[in-house]
Amino acid sequence: MAQARTKNTVSGDASLIGAGTRVRGRVTGDGDVVIGGHVEGDVVVRGDVTIEDGARCTSNVEGHAVTVAGELAGDVSASGPVVVGATARLRGNVRGAQFSMEDGASFAGRVECEFELPDGLGEDHAAPARRR
Amino acid sequence: MASTVIGAGITIEGEVTADDDVVVQGTIRGKLTSRDAVTVESGAVVEADVASGPLSVAGAVTGNITSTSRPARRSSAT
Repeated sequence: MAQARTKNTVSGDASLIGAGTRVRGRVTGDGDVVIGGHVEGDVVVRGDVTIEDGARCTSNVEGHAVTVAGELAGDVSASGPVVVGATARLRGNVRGAQFSMEDGASFAGRVECEFELPDGLGEDHAAPARRR
Repeated sequence: MASTVIGAGITIEGEVTADDDVVVQGTIRGKLTSRDAVTVESGAVVEADVASGPLSVAGAVTGNITSTSRPARRSSAT
């Protein structure tokens, strides 16, 4: 935690919404965003978005890699991987390049994600499939 | 150590309320309230009503300022 904060303070384009901070509105721009507090409003960034354990968001989230370890009510749209951590409580649809969910996570929604079928499975479906 | 950092590329349109200190390197439009110190760094744009503890401004602040102490204006402040 201390390391993450140091990194965010030093790095010019990383943002941190601390645990005691509440944002009501829209968060946009470049760079990574780490949310430890409360956000009510959409988060649309070109960098990575991390919703930490203890954070509460009512937001649609758009970013590159999106990691959810806290509470999120809203849709996720990622150009990179989406990771739903063990402590996550996610209600919303997820779209991403990859999707993974850890044991213990709570998730209610739909996943839309391209993936490769294993060898020998469904030659007819070799084209990128959609998993729902 | 700042508990909230609004990075240089980030814009927040709305209301930011913090218990701890806030460092603004990017843009905030709306309202910024903190119980602790607020630092507006060089290059930052705050078009918001600011209510905070000690306020230090090196960037641009447009709006009403309510601070528990006299705002410290650095050379680049506008």
